[in-house]
Amino acid sequence: MADTDTSAPETSQKMHLLRAFGVLLLGLLAGYFVYATTINTDSRYPFKLGLDLAGGSHLVYEADVSSLAEAEVNDAMSVLRDVIERRVNIFGVSEPIVQAEESSVVSGAAQHRLVVELPGITDVAAAVDAIGETPLLEFKLVNPEAPLAGVEVTTTDGVTTAAQDTDVERYIDTGLTGRYLERATLVFGQTGGAGLSNEPIVQVTFTSEGADLFADITSAHVGEQLAIFLDGQSISEPVIQQPITGGVATISGNFDPEEARELVRNLNFGALPVPIALASTQTIGASLGAEVLEKGVFAGIVGLGLVMLFMVLWYRIPGVVASLALLFYIAGMLALFKLIPVTLTAAGLAGFILSIGMAVDANVLVFGRMKEEYEAGKDSRTAAREGFSRAWSAIRDGNVTSILSAAILFWFGTSIVKGFALVFGMGVILSMVTAIVVTRTLLVALPVRRMHERTPLSTLYSSGFSRTKQD
Amino acid sequence: MFIIRHIRSFLIAALGITLAAVLALSIFGVSLGIDFTGGALTEVAYEVRPEKVAVEEALDAFDLGGYSVRGSQDDAGADAYIVRTRSLAEDERRAIAVALEALGEGGTVTRFTSIGPVIGEELKDKAVWAIGLVALVIVLYVAFTFRGVTKPVRSWAYGLITILVLAHDVLIPTAVFGVLGYVAGAELDVLFVMAILAVLGYSVNDTIVVFDRVRENLAANKAAEKDEPFAEVVGRSLEQTFTRSINTSFTTLLALLALYIVGGAVTENFALVLMIGVVAGTYSSLFIAPPLLVTIERWQRNRTPKEEEEVSAAL
Repeated sequence: MADTDTSAPETSQKMHLLRAFGVLLLGLLAGYFVYATTINTDSRYPFKLGLDLAGGSHLVYEADVSSLAEAEVNDAMSVLRDVIERRVNIFGVSEPIVQAEESSVVSGAAQHRLVVELPGITDVAAAVDAIGETPLLEFKLVNPEAPLAGVEVTTTDGVTTAAQDTDVERYIDTGLTGRYLERATLVFGQTGGAGLSNEPIVQVTFTSEGADLFADITSAHVGEQLAIFLDGQSISEPVIQQPITGGVATISGNFDPEEARELVRNLNFGALPVPIALASTQTIGASLGAEVLEKGVFAGIVGLGLVMLFMVLWYRIPGVVASLALLFYIAGMLALFKLIPVTLTAAGLAGFILSIGMAVDANVLVFGRMKEEYEAGKDSRTAAREGFSRAWSAIRDGNVTSILSAAILFWFGTSIVKGFALVFGMGVILSMVTAIVVTRTLLVALPVRRMHERTPLSTLYSSGFSRTKQD
Repeated sequence: MFIIRHIRSFLIAALGITLAAVLALSIFGVSLGIDFTGGALTEVAYEVRPEKVAVEEALDAFDLGGYSVRGSQDDAGADAYIVRTRSLAEDERRAIAVALEALGEGGTVTRFTSIGPVIGEELKDKAVWAIGLVALVIVLYVAFTFRGVTKPVRSWAYGLITILVLAHDVLIPTAVFGVLGYVAGAELDVLFVMAILAVLGYSVNDTIVVFDRVRENLAANKAAEKDEPFAEVVGRSLEQTFTRSINTSFTTLLALLALYIVGGAVTENFALVLMIGVVAGTYSSLFIAPPLLVTIERWQRNRTPKEEEEVSAAL
């Protein structure tokens, strides 16, 4: 790059200073933003802390989708997600995360999972119980060819029982489950011929799809029994007297009023479309989380101090510039954490500290080149410019590999790993940007000196130990 | 350049270190954490910590099979036990938590993780894939970036050297961790894998800077029609980038050191792996990659002397 400053050196110097000033101002603004929003606890931009820093519970449920057709799985999973989220919201968690997840392509059969994150909830027992209250409602046809098991069946004649032939499946799935449920209501009324009056009955209303399905089933199987399963237990197996097209079914299972009320309430909050089982749990106490955060922040400050000290001692004036660029970088990263927002985990914090050490990399590359140019006789400003343009390809190529590994890490991981990968990747990119924008602008704005002038300033532009000659 | 003058010594030293690492791994192996094997980890902090036998007695009452109890200090400074068992169902978890909290004084469960075996297996698979994928992508990237450089060393050589360098950079921290696992109970977990992946990305960074200089100097020589022996070009490039490599690694180490010493127990091992990885990465970029480059060039030259002479004359 040619130096075109010779025509109007005074104006150019002003321009450089203006730009430098602008950059510093930007940094100060970012820093102030971070400071103000951190101090103010009600701010709209707090730091978002992950479970391992804020404390909380992380639950992973495995969903058994074996009875569903391939095409229905995604639908069922999203219904499952909604149902559990509703359940979790009643529990009063602030900002819970409920997500459906599919196991990755590299493992065997696809497994569908539900990840529930409850920040601040450390009594995982209560959380699991609350989620566990979500009922699983299924309707299954009793196989007319299967002999009756030791189950009491009330027919119009009376009660009959028989032994079960274990080879024949007693129940046939109909596909009608809680996902077709629209509403449940508690009704008091009469059942059958036993003469009980005012027995609590649970009346379920299906969605239009469910109503159609119900109509089909009841039309095709008049005279057969339709078993109603609640949480895997058959609670009632009434005979289908006639096709029911209205989309309303009644479940009378000898409930007492309290049971019936609870069932209605649970059904209304949502019935599980598929059975779920708790596969993995993680809880972290809030005080432990706070300790980890505190230590992480302290480590960050110490790390920053050490790096800045080294840069100034070795690289002198350019080192001071690099330190300013580093501060700018940190303010920028923290501001981005708040604005995006990025959920900070212990690993993410570690990644941030790592990136502080790496952020000076671009600067070091440039300063190395700059020193070469400077010692070759060019003036400090030209040396800075040349240093940048020649170092750029190395900076770019080197950082690309870091970004690539961050991208793959992001794909790999659980939320903890994703946090780290995001911070790491952001850090690499932002450090490149700050090196270009901040370091270059500041360096170019400094007063111009040449090495052979041997003024105090000119020696301070050089770095490290000077060689007497290049070999 | 002293490194180039003593290529043989440095390559032998590198080989020695690598063999030592392989040996260490085969003797000590690596202990996998519950993230990969499945299992449960309960951390109970106490105001007054009970004796270990009391804890073991309490645990024996449950049908747990094998388990381990380790004393530790958590980040809040409290004395704690870390109990590792097979993965626990919800009711077992509660029962064990109650039993452990009843011992000593002021016991509370501060941290609990239970990972089902299926999820653990899957995580292990994913980890291996991720490491393999990152390594592959990096090698492809290097081969692509240096595709134009065919003289005097073909571009695939740069890719090959990158593979060796990456293998070295993964091997050394893993071996150290294996030894630590045997000695101090350090376990391979997701954080370890993350650290390795970060090391891969970072250490190649260094190597690329050196290669980049070599490429630049080769191009400058070609433009100036200067006939400099390859070994000297590499030596000169090394000299020019030496300070920079040391300095960048040094600043990164400073940050990591801060993290290791004051950063708390959760990220301690993570910082350690990264530190070893950064050191190994810098070492391989400066003392392994350039010697390998020169060696490859020599082999190529010895195999086709006539062709190389013609090429040199043309340059």
